[in-house]
Amino acid sequence: MTTTFDPSALPQLQQQRIERPWRRKPPIFTWSVVLATLIPLAIVGWIYWSTDIPGAIVMTVIYLPLQLIASGVAAFATRGRRGILDSVIIVNAIGATLFTLIVLLSVIGSLIARGITAISAHFIYQNNVYVSPSTPLEYGGIGHAILGTVIIVGISMLIAVPIGVATAIYITEVRGRAVPYVRFFVQAMAGVPSVVAGLFILTIIVATGAFQQGAFAGGLAYAILMLPTVARTAEEVLKLVPEDLRTGALALGSTRARTVLRVVLPAARTGIITAIILGVARVIGETAPLLLAAGSADATVVNPFGGPIAAIPTYIFNNVALPYPDAVARAWASALVLIVLVSILFVLARVIGRGRLSSK
Amino acid sequence: MSIAESKGVDTIQTPAVTDSSPTTDREIEMSTQDVSVWFGKRKVLEGVSIDFPKRSVTALIGPSGCGKSTFIRTLNRLHELIPGAALAGSVMYEGKDIYDRDVDPVQIRLKIGMVFQKPNPFPSMTIRGNVLAGLKLSGMKRSNHDDIVEETLRAAGLWNEVKDRLGAAAGELSGGQAQRLVIARALAVQPHVLLMDEPCSALDPASTLKIEETIRDLSKDVTIIIVTHNMQQAVRVSDRTAFFLAAENEPGHVVEQGLTTEIFGNPQDQRTLDYVNGRFG
Repeated sequence: MTTTFDPSALPQLQQQRIERPWRRKPPIFTWSVVLATLIPLAIVGWIYWSTDIPGAIVMTVIYLPLQLIASGVAAFATRGRRGILDSVIIVNAIGATLFTLIVLLSVIGSLIARGITAISAHFIYQNNVYVSPSTPLEYGGIGHAILGTVIIVGISMLIAVPIGVATAIYITEVRGRAVPYVRFFVQAMAGVPSVVAGLFILTIIVATGAFQQGAFAGGLAYAILMLPTVARTAEEVLKLVPEDLRTGALALGSTRARTVLRVVLPAARTGIITAIILGVARVIGETAPLLLAAGSADATVVNPFGGPIAAIPTYIFNNVALPYPDAVARAWASALVLIVLVSILFVLARVIGRGRLSSK
Repeated sequence: MSIAESKGVDTIQTPAVTDSSPTTDREIEMSTQDVSVWFGKRKVLEGVSIDFPKRSVTALIGPSGCGKSTFIRTLNRLHELIPGAALAGSVMYEGKDIYDRDVDPVQIRLKIGMVFQKPNPFPSMTIRGNVLAGLKLSGMKRSNHDDIVEETLRAAGLWNEVKDRLGAAAGELSGGQAQRLVIARALAVQPHVLLMDEPCSALDPASTLKIEETIRDLSKDVTIIIVTHNMQQAVRVSDRTAFFLAAENEPGHVVEQGLTTEIFGNPQDQRTLDYVNGRFG
């Protein structure tokens, strides 16, 4: 006896629609949300266009309370008294988020609007030697300042990263008696104003004649600012390394040093990289330390000990207040370049940080 | 060198409190004498004296919080890493108290390996790297790494599942596989004693059986001390059993110890009888 396969004998697959039952809302809900959004906007729009009250005041004094009341009424209509507090909190949260976004976007927007005119290929790689404040935008660039920033930040990384990571290791792995004091000092260091870091290097390195103004002295000043950020972030990521891994390594006959170097640090590798990038982002826009410790220059300087050197923040500082529109445009463009550099760093930190989460 | 040779007979003849079974037919690999443990001012263990014969499996059983895990961690000096930890008594191994001033804890942990309750493979290393991690971390020189990897993974019952992906990240393994991986890792440094702290508590029955088989196989070469909450497991894998108990707010102590068949078949203490029959704990 043989049976042949008969497809029609199979039960028919039901065509079911994808649904999300928890999102089903009564019609009154939809309508009250629509009305609670449109009515305040309509009222505010009418007030704004028909009176002379400034927009900022209309938004803060009239629109926000109005929106709160409207949402409260809508929530009351759909969910009763319990809904009111909910809606107040949600409206406030959304409003605060929008406010932050608007501030941020207007900063970036104005940077782009004012800086874009001066941006060009030669602006990125040429230097400032044959350029005076009145030179038109067809000539010159901030290549020397970009290079200077890279050199100075590089030097500060060479100094601050090993010390910062070592400090974090002392706090989380060595766990010596001095941990509370070390942590206190690192926190206090995070509060040092950047101009103080610059003054410190100026007085003990430059004024004593040990080294002249330049990339090395500027890097030292940056390192002072970078160190607490790196140390504290690295401490946080080392704390995330499960204790099991440390005991596991010790139970295999590992010394404490090998445990840290071969197990704990590799497990926290991506987090440490994030800490370094955050440290760089912390200092890269600092101006005061460089004005004091690094000086400024128009030519391209490569030698860290070769005298005053340009950097993006000092370039901006020197140009933005000049009475020449082209110099001001260059300053804005430099600020744009700086923001782009920092954004790249943060995106890098995010990407690497995500890698850590996915690999557990 | 055995304790009997180096220390004289009195070491092994120290009468184990309620141990009725003879232990003299087997050399003693390791023994504790009157071990008491404190965390801060709180005493959690009192007067634990147990002999662990060579190449035997000893199960430590007892209700939660009676100090079994604390005790097992005193045997390879992991206990001292906890802030506020204190200890009295002696833990004899190779004729010496492992807490002697001139004993290097790193050397002790190399010879007395440990497998933990939660699988803890090193996430930054591959499967192969994990097996060999002990060699790298302890600076131990052993040639022929490929053979070690295969040998220890076979011993841990994991070889067939991972032989084609030794270069894969250890994080990809399931819980049971990860636990067998850390057993292989512990074996690669050729320990004389293997401490296992509830190695199967996070595993499914199939993985548990595999690990129990592994324990039986390993006991031909290695002395095993295992903490377990699973009474059937103690019966299945162990030669000897020690029953720990702690009264409320009192330090834990050993109520009864001896051959597993005796402890489960003919316990002398009423509390042991109640516990092994599941009447409390």
